[in-house]
Amino acid sequence: MTENAEQRAKHLLYDENGNPTRDRPWIFRTYAGHTSARASNELYLGNLSKGQTGLSIAFDLATQCGYSSDHPIARPEVGKVGVPINSLDDFAVLFKDIPLDRMNTSMTINGTSMWLLALYVALARERGTDEKLLQGTTQNDLVKEYLARGTYIFPPEAHFRIIAEMYEYALERIPKWNASNICSYHLQEAGATPAQELAFALVTAIGVLDVLKERGHFTHEQFERCVGRISFFVNAGIRFVEEMCKMRAFAELWDEITRERYGVENERYRLFRYGVQVNSLGLTESQPENNAWRIILESLGVTLSRNARCRAMQLPAWNEALSLPRPWDQQWSLRLQQILAYETDLLEYPDIFDGSHVITSKVDDLKSQARAEIDRILGMGGVSAGIETGYMKSSLVRSMSERVSRINAGEQIVVGLNRWTEGIASPLLSGDDGGIFKVDGDSTRETLEALERTRATRDGERVKRALEALKQAARDGSSMMEPSIECALARVTTGEWADALREVFGEYRPVTGIEGQKLTLEDDRVRALRQRVDAYAQRAGHRPRIVVGKPGLDGHSNGAEVIAVSARHVGFDVIYSGIRLTVDEIVASAVEENADVIGISILSGSHRELGAQMMEQLAAAGASDDIPVVFGGIIPQDDFEELTNLGIRRVFTPSDYSLTDIMERIMDVVEEQEG
Amino acid sequence: MAADLEALVDRALDGEKLAIARLVSVFEDTRVDAPSRRREVLQHLAARRTRKARFVGITGTPGAGKSTLVGELATRLVAGDARVRVAVLAIDPSSHISGGSLLGDRTRVRFPVGDRRLYFRSQASDQELGGVSRTTFPVCRLLYHLFDYVFIETVGIGQSEIEIQQVADFVFLVLTPLGGDGVQFMKAGIMEIPDAIVLNKCDAVDAARKSYHALRASLSLSRPGEEHLVRIFRTSATTGQGLDELSTFILQLGQDAIGRGMPAKERYFLEKWVRDEYGRQGLRALAARGGAAAVMHAGDFEAAQLQFASEYQQR
Repeated sequence: MTENAEQRAKHLLYDENGNPTRDRPWIFRTYAGHTSARASNELYLGNLSKGQTGLSIAFDLATQCGYSSDHPIARPEVGKVGVPINSLDDFAVLFKDIPLDRMNTSMTINGTSMWLLALYVALARERGTDEKLLQGTTQNDLVKEYLARGTYIFPPEAHFRIIAEMYEYALERIPKWNASNICSYHLQEAGATPAQELAFALVTAIGVLDVLKERGHFTHEQFERCVGRISFFVNAGIRFVEEMCKMRAFAELWDEITRERYGVENERYRLFRYGVQVNSLGLTESQPENNAWRIILESLGVTLSRNARCRAMQLPAWNEALSLPRPWDQQWSLRLQQILAYETDLLEYPDIFDGSHVITSKVDDLKSQARAEIDRILGMGGVSAGIETGYMKSSLVRSMSERVSRINAGEQIVVGLNRWTEGIASPLLSGDDGGIFKVDGDSTRETLEALERTRATRDGERVKRALEALKQAARDGSSMMEPSIECALARVTTGEWADALREVFGEYRPVTGIEGQKLTLEDDRVRALRQRVDAYAQRAGHRPRIVVGKPGLDGHSNGAEVIAVSARHVGFDVIYSGIRLTVDEIVASAVEENADVIGISILSGSHRELGAQMMEQLAAAGASDDIPVVFGGIIPQDDFEELTNLGIRRVFTPSDYSLTDIMERIMDVVEEQEG
Repeated sequence: MAADLEALVDRALDGEKLAIARLVSVFEDTRVDAPSRRREVLQHLAARRTRKARFVGITGTPGAGKSTLVGELATRLVAGDARVRVAVLAIDPSSHISGGSLLGDRTRVRFPVGDRRLYFRSQASDQELGGVSRTTFPVCRLLYHLFDYVFIETVGIGQSEIEIQQVADFVFLVLTPLGGDGVQFMKAGIMEIPDAIVLNKCDAVDAARKSYHALRASLSLSRPGEEHLVRIFRTSATTGQGLDELSTFILQLGQDAIGRGMPAKERYFLEKWVRDEYGRQGLRALAARGGAAAVMHAGDFEAAQLQFASEYQQR
């Protein structure tokens, strides 16, 4: 000891030998993956060479929803929002030249989480890497999938079992693996307030731990360690002081819950460990350069307070509201992390908020709100009941509607969107590529060919046996983890693995959560629009009928829900059928309902493919002239012309934030149709 | 227009969805001259060989699983007999502020796309309190000719769902085990409406058994003196339990089992229509003409509407 404890300065950090020190930075990640296993591998190697210290893998929607790339519903989505993975062969390409025993890999994967973990373990086995050394996370949080993101496959009960079996496998075999990651990120994207984010995430964790406890596969000692493996993945919004307080509230509540509810004695296992992706919801399409500042401020919320600092951070890119980021955009975001961690003095201090009355009071306020909400949900039977009754979903849709109402009314200022909207055009958008990223349309072929090769060269008998064993385990309640690894080694495909379990567990259809929701927006324009709608109803003999739908696998339903609620708000009869619909289903609805207009929401970048399919199907039903179609979503300006040529009548993007405006323009379409 | 409607009728009889959908819109049309177009459609239908649908009402609280149940039953009915055609009419509430509505039931019912034998249509309640829409009965008059079975799924607010009894031939009340809604229904007098009860979501075995017996007991209290207690079906969409039994029961609902024939329905809904359109004064005028039964003698429902409207306006 060079200094004893009394002599230590309160503003310094000391290492175990008593020498002043600074903290090690969090893990730097970038959420990445696109096109194909090969292209993504190149991207990862590039990012790692720039100083990124962990991987965060984005999978395409087909992989997330358990379809192989050649399934009809998968085809328009292959490689769009992430990397397509069909079999262990793709995985081997994805991790080429990346040492699994020295990499920390986070996979944003939920419905097919067990499958992807099985592939990772299988790859390690084939490479002769010691499984015990594998480090990383499978996101595996179904609650937010049911509530906000939509890539669930199985009913809640079946999936809680899958999560539990992954924990049971991981605890001794791959002890540094986080089998799941309680993910409140998407809850905030879906409109959750800080207290809701706290409460919903914590009841989800309680849901997982209760299941693990009830299954009784662990001794208490093992269970404590397992509690220590629970990690979280949160969102950090622009109100960064409140967000910082939220993180402190998280840490304190988690300590309380693990101690009181689960009797965890070892302090180490009660630590609140979390990764973060800062908020994308607040990023704007208009004046996108402003997003760079937003990202910096948001990252402060999760780094400033040492007691509640993230373990890993990934930042969105400034142009995320426009398209997927290009490698340069990701590099720019990575540089921000490096500057924050290495240039500033952030990592040199103990917690700089300890002792602040203001912060303590704010944290206490959030905690008591969250506790009340936690009690309410536990009172109705816990997180599964909260999902199945639609309670949690409707709370979120309500919060979202309120947020949108505030922005529309100008009560919540968003710079460049509803205030100070005039400005000099951004030079960032004037490059040859317009500042956005486009997936090479031809790249699907490479993925499909690889899939065919795998199918042609594998041992068909072994595949059959492996799938039978998987189904058998699913039925008799034994662990599906080892059978899944055997499936991976046998070159079973993603679609085959998921289909086998669909056969046993069935597929889940959730409540939409929009029933009974309303907007608070009331102004002269809304009233005028209602009169216009009423006048139409008088003339036409019926209220305008709109079918709102989300085709394809993208499950981010917020946009479609807000449009559905808004349309009713101004007097439309709205037929809303939720997510994961095929184009055929949406067209069939529109035809059977004799709709006056169809509104389609697409965020996955497959608007061109889906637009073409839509118009073909309408033509086949003989309704192309009768039912006009409008599109909304993350659609680059460059694609407007192509969509217009297809016959799409209006295209809305995130810069069309005024709901009244959108509804007026949809009403224009309805009236044009009157002839 | 005349030729148009006739062509639509032929295409609809052929099972073409777009044609059916357009005809339904004719029967939902709220404009004053719409009954004459409806009349024309019905005349075209009368000149052709058509079906004679049975109307099955499905009522019960939100969350009881009505829509999923209807979807399962409809799919089973067509699977059992290739000639059978089934329509679903699902009613959801309208907003009192804007008049608009969110019709979300399609989420729960997933018919195979392209199957001509199944048709689903959502209706907004249009601030009606009876559990069905003002246009439900007119639309049923059309669907009667085009389908063999029509399921009418009510708003399901748990009270004042009385009207379903007037429009349907047979009414099922859907309850969930230990939902506590049994008591609510008893209070609201709804227990007196159903011809049979479906205890749905019976996957939770214990709860289901308890509820079944509690329900039996409360039924004998709320409907004293009835010879036969109404039948209780136990079903689960998750496990498929009881669904075959229930769909077989529906298949066997012969025409003779139908208590409420079309003339009675027409009289009821004519009177209701007069009340909606012309209020108490209208009702007095109707009574002065000898009531709905007398006015109906002028011909069919639509003719009676047209005639009453023109006489009332001349007054």
